Amino acid sequence: MGRLLKFFIMAVLAAAALSGCVEKNILDDISLVNGIGFDYYDETKIRGTVIYPYYLPEKDPEDKTFTAVSEIKKTILDDIGRQTADPVVTGSLNIILFGEELAERKGILELVDAFQRDPGVGSTLYLAVVEGTAREFLEENYRYRSTVELVSRIIQHNIDRGDLPKTNLQRFLFDYYQRGKTPFMPRLKRKPGKIVDLDGINLFCKGKIVDYLPPDKMFFFKLLVDEYSEGLYLVEIDEGKASVHSIRSKRKFRLMEKDPYKIRVEIDVNGVIDEFTGNELKPATMKKLEHEFENMIKEECTKLIRRFKEKEVDPAGFGHFVKTKIRNFDIEKWRNTDYKDLTVEIKPTVKITQSGVIE
Amino acid sequence: MKLGWKRKKQIMGEDLKEILEKSEDFQAVSYQNKKTKTRFTLFYITSLVDERILHEIALPKLLNGDFKKLGDAKKILPLAEVDISRNKNEIEQKLFNGAVLLTVEGEKGVCCFFSAQKENVRNISLPEIEFSVLGPKETFVESLKQNLNLIRKRIPVKELIVEEIIVGRYSKTRVAILYIEGLTNEENVNTVRQRVEGIEYDEITDSSYVMQLISDNTNSPFPQMLDTERPDRVAAALTEGKVVLLVDGSPHAVIAPTTLVEFFNSYEDYLLDWILASFIRFIRFFAIAFSVLATPAYVAILSYHYQLIPVDLLNTLVASRRMIPFPPVLEAFFLEITIELLREAGARLPTKVGQTIGIVGGIVIGTASVEAGLTSNVLLIIVALSALASFTTPVYRIGNTIRLLRFPFLIFAELWGLLGIVVCLCFVTTHLLRLTSLGRPYLEPIYPPRLHDLKEAFVRPPLSTLRERPQYLRTKKPARFSRKAAKEKKDIDE
Repeated sequence: MGRLLKFFIMAVLAAAALSGCVEKNILDDISLVNGIGFDYYDETKIRGTVIYPYYLPEKDPEDKTFTAVSEIKKTILDDIGRQTADPVVTGSLNIILFGEELAERKGILELVDAFQRDPGVGSTLYLAVVEGTAREFLEENYRYRSTVELVSRIIQHNIDRGDLPKTNLQRFLFDYYQRGKTPFMPRLKRKPGKIVDLDGINLFCKGKIVDYLPPDKMFFFKLLVDEYSEGLYLVEIDEGKASVHSIRSKRKFRLMEKDPYKIRVEIDVNGVIDEFTGNELKPATMKKLEHEFENMIKEECTKLIRRFKEKEVDPAGFGHFVKTKIRNFDIEKWRNTDYKDLTVEIKPTVKITQSGVIE
Repeated sequence: MKLGWKRKKQIMGEDLKEILEKSEDFQAVSYQNKKTKTRFTLFYITSLVDERILHEIALPKLLNGDFKKLGDAKKILPLAEVDISRNKNEIEQKLFNGAVLLTVEGEKGVCCFFSAQKENVRNISLPEIEFSVLGPKETFVESLKQNLNLIRKRIPVKELIVEEIIVGRYSKTRVAILYIEGLTNEENVNTVRQRVEGIEYDEITDSSYVMQLISDNTNSPFPQMLDTERPDRVAAALTEGKVVLLVDGSPHAVIAPTTLVEFFNSYEDYLLDWILASFIRFIRFFAIAFSVLATPAYVAILSYHYQLIPVDLLNTLVASRRMIPFPPVLEAFFLEITIELLREAGARLPTKVGQTIGIVGGIVIGTASVEAGLTSNVLLIIVALSALASFTTPVYRIGNTIRLLRFPFLIFAELWGLLGIVVCLCFVTTHLLRLTSLGRPYLEPIYPPRLHDLKEAFVRPPLSTLRERPQYLRTKKPARFSRKAAKEKKDIDE
């Protein structure tokens, strides 16, 4: 007992002496930054904008934004810290936005890298590109209580139920560092009337934007990129238009041939019909719809893959897939010749399981 | 009866009388037998003796009966406890236990005594500390005799042994050790006997004294013996193979050995059906963890780990803390101490005033301190809930331990955040691992792991599956009933 007591006293003393080592951040004495935006400033500098909510009793929080110009992220935060009432902390960071110009001209990788090394930042952090500048985007007063919450909710529910493939900091970094795969980011747009719009996807190569996919391509993009997905698409046949809600789809790669490589992409879509403009939905019409949808998937996905090859990006990760299937994968050879020669066969199977309750 | 006490100085005959005559309630009356004309003297202490027994039963026999010598007196007295002794110590002790001494002229140094003890026994009342809706409603009283009666009625077998030891230099308290022979491990009985005999103290007023004096580790906030006011719980403990201590003048029995989890098991658990009982037991464990950890977690998270707070909760938390001038730890201490004050004030006051204090304190102080901006309402909810949760402990003693335990956790949470809570948890666990109850591990079904006991620790299995007695007790008969016999009886029904 005596020894234990002595140890206990020592531990308490040590605790008192060493507690200076742990940084104490009392919740109401810090500025909890929940969003950061970066913009192009000039050849060497970038402009950072932070946004944090100022909480008020019995009211919605007010968004406050601060801006600083510097070379790297940490100095931006230090510069901003000189303007705010409370110290700036990044622990509850939710979104990082990149201005279009910055992502096109300078690349965003060194900025993302800084977050990857910050232990306070969680991995469920959304990255997005914004049209125009991130500063203007963040300073706008949207018709929602908090800008950051609005943006992260838009991205979240479009991942869960919409056409946006799964994305966050961790996945972005995985795609970036994985050989034979390239990352992508959702793209946001400010619309007149204080509205945020999820406006397609930007494809990246080596940290820079190389391509842009408009929203109508997103459904097929998600089919190719995500193993399981959900989404809505409009199918047109002679009898009328039908919006097919894919409730569950599954994608599988199969390596068919080597030299040159041939990959078969099997896409199984289970869908329900949400809306049909025609008169009557007969089983024959359903079959026709299914067939038409299959054709569309095949066509659009093939188009997408052709586009990827042209831009030398691989967001679906064909290279990564091949790497897992063969020995001695040569990434240089793959990039230079094999990827260009790769044939991808799309094999969609669409099944419409339900067409409505009242018939 | 064993004489477990030692006299340092013997008071001899004449000295005894000299000392006794200083007391007003000491009486020495001389009479003469009507038949044999034998002169005899009665010595007694009026405050201890039932006058009715003395005057209506004993005295007529002594006056009218045929008696010359002390030996005759023993025969004619129609009382249970009549004896002749020369031992001065025994005589003195008897006198103060309410016996009447009888000396006959001509016989020196020897006397007869008969018990005419006045018993002031309170009525058996409803359980107050361990109240249960179901089940028996009787509790122990302050009389050892009455308490033994309550237990004997529940276990009417010859194997139930009641040993008695007298402790306390001045109190001469009778301590009874109860166990079932052939079932209880003798090692446990011997340990208890040895420790009780080893008690050296002047005044033993309650079983809590005995409990504190014979505990394995007296420097621990955790009670290592279970005390109960319920005879049914005692009977259950005895048949489980435990040792029970009853102290004269105390309405609480002490059960040993015990483990930590037993403090969280209400006796009512065994009266409900097993699914409900297990659910309630689960809630209770949750409540205890909540009660100890909720406020420290609040302090730790608000001071160090703001990342853990969900975005939707941030607004509520920050807005409620914005106006508060104190850091979270002071805020928490302020509220915790307020609650402790209320509890202490409520416990010291009569029931009706206590209730008022509770309401005044709870509502008025709570609301006022939030409005004055001294505490945040989120913390007020947490503290109130954890106080409520600490009341779910079925044993009063462990409830107090939990009350205390919160404060070191708070300090550690302030120093190191969640890491500090873990460090403190390590300290508590280490302490618990080292604790023993009569030399049996205190944290038993968890460490050392005993699968069979573990089953009973966290859920309350159906009675038919509770075939074995707890393993840590090392009983001589590990099985409660024969599975074969139980099955046979069941088969007859079907």
